[in-house]
Amino acid sequence: MQLFKTPNIQFLKYKYVALAVTIAIVLAGVLNITVFKGLKLGVDFGEGTLLRIMVKTPTAEGQIRDLLQTVGLGKSQVQKIGNSGREFQIRALESNPTKSTQQDQLESHEALADRILAALYGNEGAAEKARGLVDLNAIDVKSLTSLLESAYPGSGPEAAQRILSYRTQTGIITDYKILDELGLKPEIQTFLKDKTYLGSLTVLSRETVGPQVGADLRRKAVQATIWSLIGMLIYIALRFKIENGVAAIFTLAQDVLITMSLYSFTNREINLPIIAGILTIVGFSINDTIVIFDRVRENQKLMRGKGLEDIMNASINQCLGRTIITSGTVFLTVGALFLFGGAVINDFAFLMLIGTIEGVYSTVYLSCPVVLWWQQLFGPQKTARR
Amino acid sequence: MKKNLQWKVVVTLVVIGVCIFLAYPFNDQKIKRGLDLKGGIHLTLQVMTDDSINIETDQEIARLEELLKKNAITFQKVTKEGLGRIAIQGTLADQEGKTRDLFDEYTRDWEYSFTGDRANMSLKPLVVQALRDQSVSQAKETIDNRINGLGVSEPLIQRQGADKIIVELPGVDDPERVKELIKVTAVLEWKLVKAGPAADEATLLQATNGQVPEDALVVKGDPKRGQGGYYLVDKVAVVTGKDLRTIRRTQDEWRNPAVAFSLNSDGGARFEQVTAANVGKQIAIMLDNKVQSAPVVETRISRTQGGVIRGRFTPQEADDLVIILKAGALPAGIKYLEERTIGPALGADSVRQGLIAGLVAILAVMIFMIVFYKLAGINAVIALILNVVILFGALAYFKAALTLPGIAGIILSIGMAVDANVLIFERMKEEVAIGKGVISAVSQGFSRAFSAIFDSNLTTIISAVFLFQFGTGPIRGYAVTLTISLLANLFTAVFVSHLLFDLTVRKTAKKLSV
Repeated sequence: MQLFKTPNIQFLKYKYVALAVTIAIVLAGVLNITVFKGLKLGVDFGEGTLLRIMVKTPTAEGQIRDLLQTVGLGKSQVQKIGNSGREFQIRALESNPTKSTQQDQLESHEALADRILAALYGNEGAAEKARGLVDLNAIDVKSLTSLLESAYPGSGPEAAQRILSYRTQTGIITDYKILDELGLKPEIQTFLKDKTYLGSLTVLSRETVGPQVGADLRRKAVQATIWSLIGMLIYIALRFKIENGVAAIFTLAQDVLITMSLYSFTNREINLPIIAGILTIVGFSINDTIVIFDRVRENQKLMRGKGLEDIMNASINQCLGRTIITSGTVFLTVGALFLFGGAVINDFAFLMLIGTIEGVYSTVYLSCPVVLWWQQLFGPQKTARR
Repeated sequence: MKKNLQWKVVVTLVVIGVCIFLAYPFNDQKIKRGLDLKGGIHLTLQVMTDDSINIETDQEIARLEELLKKNAITFQKVTKEGLGRIAIQGTLADQEGKTRDLFDEYTRDWEYSFTGDRANMSLKPLVVQALRDQSVSQAKETIDNRINGLGVSEPLIQRQGADKIIVELPGVDDPERVKELIKVTAVLEWKLVKAGPAADEATLLQATNGQVPEDALVVKGDPKRGQGGYYLVDKVAVVTGKDLRTIRRTQDEWRNPAVAFSLNSDGGARFEQVTAANVGKQIAIMLDNKVQSAPVVETRISRTQGGVIRGRFTPQEADDLVIILKAGALPAGIKYLEERTIGPALGADSVRQGLIAGLVAILAVMIFMIVFYKLAGINAVIALILNVVILFGALAYFKAALTLPGIAGIILSIGMAVDANVLIFERMKEEVAIGKGVISAVSQGFSRAFSAIFDSNLTTIISAVFLFQFGTGPIRGYAVTLTISLLANLFTAVFVSHLLFDLTVRKTAKKLSV
């Protein structure tokens, strides 16, 4: 099957227009990051505590926010996850951060998370706890096993396992009815109803990174990114020419800047997996750039006497079918992740969706022009000297 | 079949066979999941290495006092001036030579200088370094033992940097217990009680006119053990955790959980002697300076008899006490720098959704390739499947865990694998378009596309190697899967796919199915 006949589009005719557009986008992004909104650093880089919870009865985001407001934790960010109305992500933020030592900060973050949980639990369960009941939505395997063992020796491990693997799958136990569905003996069901209660929420995850580790992670992420860019520059400069290496670095810098500013604009948080996402985009972009450079390298031998700009245009056109098919398939893949991948993957997939298009653009309108300009600057002088 | 095709087939089959063997049976033991996908606890903790320097300094002061006394050198007092710094005050000028000789012989870890009637000593930097290093490795070992006592499967405990330790416990769901278990210093001591328990310090010290005697100190009872109030105990311990020979969980006479211990011969002898001399008195059992219980000595306890520690333990608390006492005390305090608890529910959710999305994505790509490139597309799909097989084989071999960023790496490599095939097929079409024969188009397609595929894969591999070198946790996971699957990609997309063409395309074919 053929997508289309090799076209003859003068891509590079618009290089100055594109340059203006690129500069405008990058400038807007950089300004936004440095002056206006800034980058929102996630919990990985030492900014508070991240809680993910699941509640028993579906609740609106606002309700949780109001609840936190009443106990003076209104600054915390609440975010709904999925459409069940049960899963929420809460970033605990200090309402008036005080200067304290690094260690104290970790503990105060932790304390903050405890306060948030206490506020969400409210008075629920207090009466039950006073009667010595345990929360079936918070109990761990060992404790549940020994509780069951104490009354029904021999059947503890199996029943506990069954109940908790159900809880693992669904996140929370909403009703004692499921004990029946799990095939537990009636007497065990009655025993559990007697000895436990169902707490109003479960904590799915809880992450606190202290400032020291946060700064460490940040430094290492930046270091790793810069070194890997340098590595690419050297390889490309060796395999092609120095100007190709320089062009690749410009392109990659643009990829990183644009995705970062996108994050700034959309208020998404930067975390370690996102760094991996940005690097993935860089990977795709460099792949694209090299394919075009490779074709130019080949065409320079075949199309002697033609100017570099013409050769580049021809190369981009020859590779156009491949570019569209490849980017299209990747877009398809990432689109699937974006739609079905769930909350944790969603942020990453969003980044990739933008990145696949951006990568192609940066190859055509940044990599190629930079090589062109470099040769205009340094090329003729070299030959003149000889 | 041509000779060189034969060995190519053999190489391909061997590689696939080895990878399937490595990854089979495709389960949790073979393909490990990272904490973000499995759930568990990740802790970064810092060893307060200053503690070990402090302990060394205190011990040196005691040693010095003894040494000076033994050698009849007069001095006023030995004081602690700071971390690893000691001053001996009031030494006489005419003793300097003798003191120097003494220091040269006995305190080689310390540098010294004299100013007037004062000798200043400081711990040598190299020794400080060694002590700090030792305390971190000792702490790691102790934590290792404690975690082992918990029975967690496949824990990861490793040093990071100068004074940090990373603890990763997959599948553990009660972080508070683990944190407590790791953090307690666990210095166990038996000390004779001089007075107490009393409600407050004033009542406690009534008998001694409000003064704490020089050979005693005031300690608190552990409220968790139901020991309220204050005790006045001897400074010197009768026996300590170091004298323990065996320790196990048991029950006391009221069938409450308790911990039974026996002592080594040295400690047992001391215990026998002290109990014989102090029948009717209380002896406090203290953990990290908190009184756990203070039983009355009813009779002489023989050296082999041992005893029981009770204190209203829950069964789990008794278990934990056994674990930490078996593992020994920490050489220095510990502080938490990072705590992450990922519940199993969140991990399970991520896996399920990620798996669905991944399958949908791969299927979509495969269908597209077959529809668009027909028979050649089938080659590409086979290459793609092989790529995944090799990846999992390698993950199993290197015991690398699959993480969320790792999945990002796989997506990039799948994208690049598809791209490699697209490059080759598009090139073939171009060759066909300029009138090349089928066989020639195939070989030209591969050879012309090779440089682009090779360069782009290698560039990304180079960047991944740097990421692995300089990155942390998630970024490393990304770098590992990316590197493996790009190497696999070079093999499958170029070598295996070419082989498939060679095997299937007939010389007499008029048309190439791309």
